[in-house]
Amino acid sequence: MTLSELEKGLQARIIDLSNISPLVRRRLLDLGILEGSIIRLIHRLPLRGAFALEVNHQEFGLRYAEAKRIEVEVV
Amino acid sequence: MKSIALAGNPNTGKTSLFNMLTKSYEYVGNWTGVTVEKKIGKLKSGDAELIDLPGIYSLNPLSKDEGISINYLMNESPSTIINIVDGSLLERNLNLTIQLLEYGKPLLIGLNMVDIAKSRGIRIDQKKLARLLGVPVVPIIARTGSGCDEILEQLGQSASSSTFQIDYGEIIEEAISEIDDRLDADLPYHHRWLAIQFLEGNHVVKDKLSAWIPEKDLNEMYNRTEKKIKDTGESHTLPSYIYKVRNERIKSIIGEAVYVESKSATNWTEKIDRVLLNRFLGIPLFLAVMYLVFQFTFDWLGSPISDQLDGFLSGPASDGLTWLLTFCGASSFIKSVVLEGIISGVGGVLVFVPQIFILFFFISWLEDSGYMARIALLMDRLMSSVGLNGKAFIPMIIGFGCNVPGIMAARTIEHPKERLLTILLSPLMSCSARLTVYALFAAAFFNSHQSLIVLSLYVLSIVTALLLAKLFSSTFLKHEDQSAFVIELPPYRVPQWRILLRSTWEKGKGFVRKAGTFIFGGSVVIWLLSYAGPSGFDVEMNQSFLAIIGNAIALLFDPIGFGNWQAGASLLTGFLAKEVVVSTMNIIYMTPDDTALQGVLGQYFTSLQAYSFMAFTLLYVPCLATVAVIKKETMSKKWTWFSIVYALVIAYVISLVIYQGGRLLGFH
Ligand SMILES: Nc1nc2c(ncn2[C@@H]2O[C@H](COP(=O)(O)OP(=O)(O)OP(=O)(O)O)[C@@H](O)[C@H]2O)c(=O)[nH]1
Ligand SMILES: [Mg+2]
Repeated sequence: MTLSELEKGLQARIIDLSNISPLVRRRLLDLGILEGSIIRLIHRLPLRGAFALEVNHQEFGLRYAEAKRIEVEVV
Repeated sequence: MKSIALAGNPNTGKTSLFNMLTKSYEYVGNWTGVTVEKKIGKLKSGDAELIDLPGIYSLNPLSKDEGISINYLMNESPSTIINIVDGSLLERNLNLTIQLLEYGKPLLIGLNMVDIAKSRGIRIDQKKLARLLGVPVVPIIARTGSGCDEILEQLGQSASSSTFQIDYGEIIEEAISEIDDRLDADLPYHHRWLAIQFLEGNHVVKDKLSAWIPEKDLNEMYNRTEKKIKDTGESHTLPSYIYKVRNERIKSIIGEAVYVESKSATNWTEKIDRVLLNRFLGIPLFLAVMYLVFQFTFDWLGSPISDQLDGFLSGPASDGLTWLLTFCGASSFIKSVVLEGIISGVGGVLVFVPQIFILFFFISWLEDSGYMARIALLMDRLMSSVGLNGKAFIPMIIGFGCNVPGIMAARTIEHPKERLLTILLSPLMSCSARLTVYALFAAAFFNSHQSLIVLSLYVLSIVTALLLAKLFSSTFLKHEDQSAFVIELPPYRVPQWRILLRSTWEKGKGFVRKAGTFIFGGSVVIWLLSYAGPSGFDVEMNQSFLAIIGNAIALLFDPIGFGNWQAGASLLTGFLAKEVVVSTMNIIYMTPDDTALQGVLGQYFTSLQAYSFMAFTLLYVPCLATVAVIKKETMSKKWTWFSIVYALVIAYVISLVIYQGGRLLGFH
């Protein structure tokens, strides 16, 4: 499933980041987020707005369009 | 003199430490990308200069502010680097630390945010960490200044470079030595560092290397090495392989030096976000916050204080000055310059100091709380639909204080076209200087709904900016390529009074200084222009040069509701700085204070005309300082002119709609 389908409060492991734009991938890597990272959905803004997520005690925001391209599996 | 550079991830407290260690003060805030320029300060002890740099995650820059840090390290050689590391996010921060160790200059680690780390149950054995990395590690709390003495002490000792090295595996090591062989021995950089950065895809380093090794060879070497790595099946790309190796080492370092007690402290940040980022409440709450800010700035706190100040300036202060001038036997000319020119012009603006400081206080509070990044997140949906980025909202809010730092803040926006768009539209944000005009007119014409009227102008500025963003981004600033929106949401912090007051003062200081210099000089010139005319001095105001100039453009303003020469002259001088509109009006209408001016304005403007005038002042051109910074940031004459011309056009169109539309609806 993709990150955009993850339910609020649940955790998932990232399995594939290869479909997102290189710029976003680089920024995620800057935050230490890569394949294998455990990610948790904190909030989801309405109308396909941004997502608030958490990895390693660090909150960050991402667009719906990017979250849709990130492959995850619930853990 | 020795130069010491501060480097580290964004929002880790570099500038906080800079402010503690030097005599200067720079801008601090709780989001990533507050510092966007290189800032130099002198250590309090006076024997070295400290350089504050924009935050970076790695030495490979994506945005303009990051480029500044990397260029500094490439081109100017600091004698020591203080690497500020966020102790609560150690794993991520060490990625940069290792690159800085490889860079090879003497390094000192300032282990910051130890208070937060502790509250999360993270205990860092700093001695062990220092041994594993081969450099001194000093735990600090930059916000309170704890540990700063030790930093200074360490700086005093002779520093040597670390011998820390990572073995990147046979394939990479081979490529490193291949590059090493082809470089001259006496380069000012560590060959190994250059090679690793190049293999990691750092384009700044690649440019540098191509001075010594032909680009063709570099590309060939890169592709060959990348292919070998791919064949091993360990990674798809070179950068990700290097990242992995480095990360394994970081994990092992952390395993040895960091202990985590599972402590279930309440996560306040998440609790607060549950409300502030709520699906339905998020945006209404943001608007409510802004409304409260304006209530405080005008109705509740600002205007009452301003009125008192106005009473004092026009009463005791100017009476006293009149007495003093008479006592000194000043000529009537001097008396006129001082009382009709300077007191009216400068005093008329100074009266608004309370409102402006209150507004700045709240902006500082927003900046230090951590809410800014959330606002960007909330707004991203709306902003992306007009071709902007949620991050562009941060420059806009800063622009409510002053457009100049707002435009600078756009440096953190990675996509060049989005950044340009943000720069072009930021001047539409209603800055504190324009607030003087609203405060004057709102009090004169809309006494019972002051903050509502002012809020409507702020909304007008944002709506206009968004509509224009849509227009520009779907015509000549079209971009197909994906933009990036990844934003860190830092933990909320309770702003400290000390920081809040300092940061309010630093912002407001500029306004007071402008009143003492620019507006002072401007007032004298404007008064002279109103005092002199073709027929000589001390002419009837309507025969003065100022009236002639104002009349020349008044005709143009007739359709939008204020075709009198006074309005024309005020707007013309307002290009210098928007407060000058108020100064000029005070001088022209020969009123001793703003209360009297409010009375006089009623004879020249109707309420509808007044609103049209406020809207025009809001939009019509960026002030002189803003134009200069647009020129600097876009590095283009064309875009600078464009920002002036489009603003004039849009201001005219909107005022026309307001005035003519209002008349049709029966307002006057
Ligand atoms: N709790 C805590 N907060 C800190 C500490 N040091 C700094 N801060 C806060 O962290 C935030 C960021 O501080 P800055 O000094 O602006 O950080 P910076 O590294 O210069 O950030 P950029 O310029 O964006 O790279 C501010 O809100 C500070 O008050 C600390 O030791 N503990
Ligand atoms: Mg800073």
